[in-house]
Amino acid sequence: MCSLPSLSFGQSPPIKLEEFTSIAKSQLSAKSYKMLEHVSIQYMENNSKKGKLKSVTALLDDLQQDLSDIRKARAQNRQPRPAQLPGSVLETNPLDREKQIMQWQWEKLDAIESGKTFTFNEVIVYKLKLQLLWRLHSFNAERGAQVLASVVHPAERKED
Amino acid sequence: MTSMKIKYTKTERARQKKILKVSERMLPLFEAMEKSLMSTILTISERIDQIRAAIEKNQKAAEPWIAVMGDAWVDVAQFISVNETITRPVDVAGIRVQQFERVDFMEMPVGEDTPLWVDDAILLMREQLQLMAEIRCLEEQIILLEEELLEVRARVKLFENRRIPNAKTAIRKIGQKLQDDERLTIATAKVVKTGAKRR
Repeated sequence: MCSLPSLSFGQSPPIKLEEFTSIAKSQLSAKSYKMLEHVSIQYMENNSKKGKLKSVTALLDDLQQDLSDIRKARAQNRQPRPAQLPGSVLETNPLDREKQIMQWQWEKLDAIESGKTFTFNEVIVYKLKLQLLWRLHSFNAERGAQVLASVVHPAERKED
Repeated sequence: MTSMKIKYTKTERARQKKILKVSERMLPLFEAMEKSLMSTILTISERIDQIRAAIEKNQKAAEPWIAVMGDAWVDVAQFISVNETITRPVDVAGIRVQQFERVDFMEMPVGEDTPLWVDDAILLMREQLQLMAEIRCLEEQIILLEEELLEVRARVKLFENRRIPNAKTAIRKIGQKLQDDERLTIATAKVVKTGAKRR
């Protein structure tokens, strides 16, 4: 872990995910590496609900339940009541909301790794944080406008 | 005006008078049709401008958060696309055109693990795609109406520059010729009568 650059929310990712994976592969046991490979902040497999990944899975479950409640509330035209996410996520635009959700995930990850220096947990959290940073880095206005245009003007995009 | 071959007969004069009468009756109708088409095209163009302004407004409203659509985790394009634009035939200024009704979308259900911003993006894209489809329908209407306008203008010009002046000229010329013929006949008759008296 000492050889990896430190991460802070909002910064440009200091290392590529592939580089991190390659370092992890060279330094972890085959079993740990296999476990690390299946960890993702985007989704968790069902068999990850026990052991070292339990807290990460719980974090993702909490988020999914809140998102589900927000969606249901929208469909039923009622005020959503997220159990875990801060209430402020409901009052901002989609970009800021996504950033707030990611920051909330970041803080939860901080809590997960707190006091567990030089453990496998720390490696898992590092990977998840790195994934968050790369996702945050992909939020780009120019690219977003291109994506919107590709859906709204599909023919024009093909002509280009 | 091109020279025309005229038959100097009373029947031809009657025919030309009929052509003139019909042409003078038709011209205002075509002029009214031209005005109606021009005004309809203008109205449709204004509607297109309004829709473009709405698209621009939506785009502006989304600008503060458009960056999230670059999200590397999501390919938002897979969630929504146009299946079919539903239209119905209507008569506009006497022309059969297709009027926009709605867009039938192909939408992929949003999963629970899909980021929340995708819902907002789908709403925005739905709105923009509907507006774009309406613009396309209106533009097709304008194409049809402009084709008709060209034909009507050609008819107005035909009546104004050819049929009416030609008929007027023919009537005048035939009238003159018939008068001349009549005078000649009378003069000839007088000469014959005088010659007969002398004999």
